[in-house]
Amino acid sequence: MVGGAALFYRLARRSESDFFLAGRRLPWWLPAASVFSTHTATDTPMWVTGTVYAHGLRGLWYTFFAGWTSVAAFVSARIYRRSVAFTQAEWQVVRFHGFGAELLRGWMAGWQVFMNMFILGWVGIAMGKVGNLAFGWPVWVGLVIPSVITALYTLAAGYWGVVMGDFLQGIVAIFAILLVSIVGIMAAGGPSGVVDGVTAMGETWRLDSMAFTGWLTGAFPAAWWLTMLVIAIVGGFGMGTSIDWYVEAQRIQSAKTVRDASYGIWWGGAITLLRNGIWAASILAFFVMAPGITNGAEAELGWFRLGFELLPAGLVGVFFAAILAIHLSTISSHLNLGALYFTRDLYQRYVRPDASERTLVWVGRLTTAVLLVGSFFYGLMMQEITQWLIFALWLMMAGIWLPNILQVVWWRFNAWGYLASWIANLGIAWLVVWVLPEFGVIPVLPDYLQFWSLMALGVVVFLPTTLLTEPEPMDHLVHFYLQTRPLGWWGPVREEAVRRGLLVDEKRTATSAPRPLIRRTWTPEEADGWSREDWIAIVLSPVIMGLGMVGAANLFLGRASGAWQLVLGTVLGLVMFWVIDPKLRAVSVDYEAQQAKYLERLEKRMRWQGDDGTRVASTVAAPEET
Amino acid sequence: MERGFVTLIGMSIAYLASFIGLGLAWYGWNRRHRDDEEVGS
Repeated sequence: MVGGAALFYRLARRSESDFFLAGRRLPWWLPAASVFSTHTATDTPMWVTGTVYAHGLRGLWYTFFAGWTSVAAFVSARIYRRSVAFTQAEWQVVRFHGFGAELLRGWMAGWQVFMNMFILGWVGIAMGKVGNLAFGWPVWVGLVIPSVITALYTLAAGYWGVVMGDFLQGIVAIFAILLVSIVGIMAAGGPSGVVDGVTAMGETWRLDSMAFTGWLTGAFPAAWWLTMLVIAIVGGFGMGTSIDWYVEAQRIQSAKTVRDASYGIWWGGAITLLRNGIWAASILAFFVMAPGITNGAEAELGWFRLGFELLPAGLVGVFFAAILAIHLSTISSHLNLGALYFTRDLYQRYVRPDASERTLVWVGRLTTAVLLVGSFFYGLMMQEITQWLIFALWLMMAGIWLPNILQVVWWRFNAWGYLASWIANLGIAWLVVWVLPEFGVIPVLPDYLQFWSLMALGVVVFLPTTLLTEPEPMDHLVHFYLQTRPLGWWGPVREEAVRRGLLVDEKRTATSAPRPLIRRTWTPEEADGWSREDWIAIVLSPVIMGLGMVGAANLFLGRASGAWQLVLGTVLGLVMFWVIDPKLRAVSVDYEAQQAKYLERLEKRMRWQGDDGTRVASTVAAPEET
Repeated sequence: MERGFVTLIGMSIAYLASFIGLGLAWYGWNRRHRDDEEVGS
């Protein structure tokens, strides 16, 4: 990888766009591989092992939050790609306007710089633990040395190095996951041995992915499952979870077209969920061979133990190389991403708007190095952090879950409402999660009730804030609407665009000719709108991903249900792509023709300039396109 | 320490970083406006 970095060094140093987005030229399979590889970290098998060991196959639904990509691929990814914003922080000044938008940009950039360092530290310490388990190394060795190697190619080749490395590392990771899982299952007596073993223990519920403990009670109530589905699927209409979306945002913008962005995110999420299903089957095999582990931290190492204890000596080396690959891909992504937020959204925007491309690339490199060193200190401080805590953090950000969606789908939502939801979430989370239960005012809430409580209390803050403050200026909203064509409640903005002659009124131009049930021929103008074909993809996509995840687990357990679930998922997948692909192609053709103009405007804004090059603090340019 | 409490502490540290980012944005905005006013006058 380090040698390969030299190949991409020249590409990465050309511009900020090359260093952080690979020049926006990637075909869909590279961002897809990068999404999968980045979300396959050293601690990921620990977390999936922990949940499946404790909950059986139903524990897979804890991991289904990656299913947000199923809807986002066809909704928010398309909208975000058209915004051309480098980052979600920059998206704030495309979607919102003025002082509030700038505050949001700074807020989100600060959050992301820290979060990337945090993730680097926690993933690094997981590698330290694996090195300790496998070879008895001190924890700091696994934390520091692989990350330094990663930094070498990330510093040199930027995002080009990240994404090319992710592709190669993803292949190695898939090979290792399949190898270790199959070896583990065979060691437990093969698929039938695992099923028989679990049955003999009287715990057949572990083989059922829908084994609920009641509607509202027990360790896995149906209410929690439904909550997870809502979080993931409805969340896909929006833009931004507290942790995940930021990585995907970079991959969306690095894709060469809107279509490539959509497919990149879809396949990245789908392969991630298939992976979880395969893991789950092998973890049940581990459960059969080592039942009754009550220490969660010990159980979490189950999948690694399958590899290190069951593989022959030669293959253990291959397995460790795969773990390194898994680790390197995550580290490289977060190093580059953290540097992107600092360089573009903090340094360039607020410190040196006139910095040259060369300076920005070097600031990016310096930030990468600083993030790396910071992550070492942070990793050593949080040796007991597991991904369960990350999951808890993800839940505690429930107060911004709905605003993340509203910023995409509701024209009236404004910067002040969004900022209020972020700030209020901290106080509300402290109250609901710790202060009130600690003083006996309310009981400790189960996860699903905690989510809904935080979300509802957030509404009480951000909705009045939004409605009591001014909407974003109509000029800005019309501009945003024409560029991104968002889904949802945008009626007043659309009407204004039609009134100004910037959009054609579809009602007036509609022909009396009957519309085919599934339309497969589109003009670019027609494809810009949202139609039945989009909704078919939106409905089918999460079903396909759910079938893939559960089907993979069942298939590896030798059950017939796995085969038909995967066949059904494949058929539905083919139908979905048959329906949506012509439309995505038409959207892409039209949009790419205009992208250069949007990028030019973005760079002028970045330097606090108006469209005519004059210097203004905040630009509202009257849209001119038709 | 229990899971919720530890997570809240971690989240609060992340919020601190956000407030720093917000402060920088505030500074950048004000500086830009001040410069623009000086250019205008």
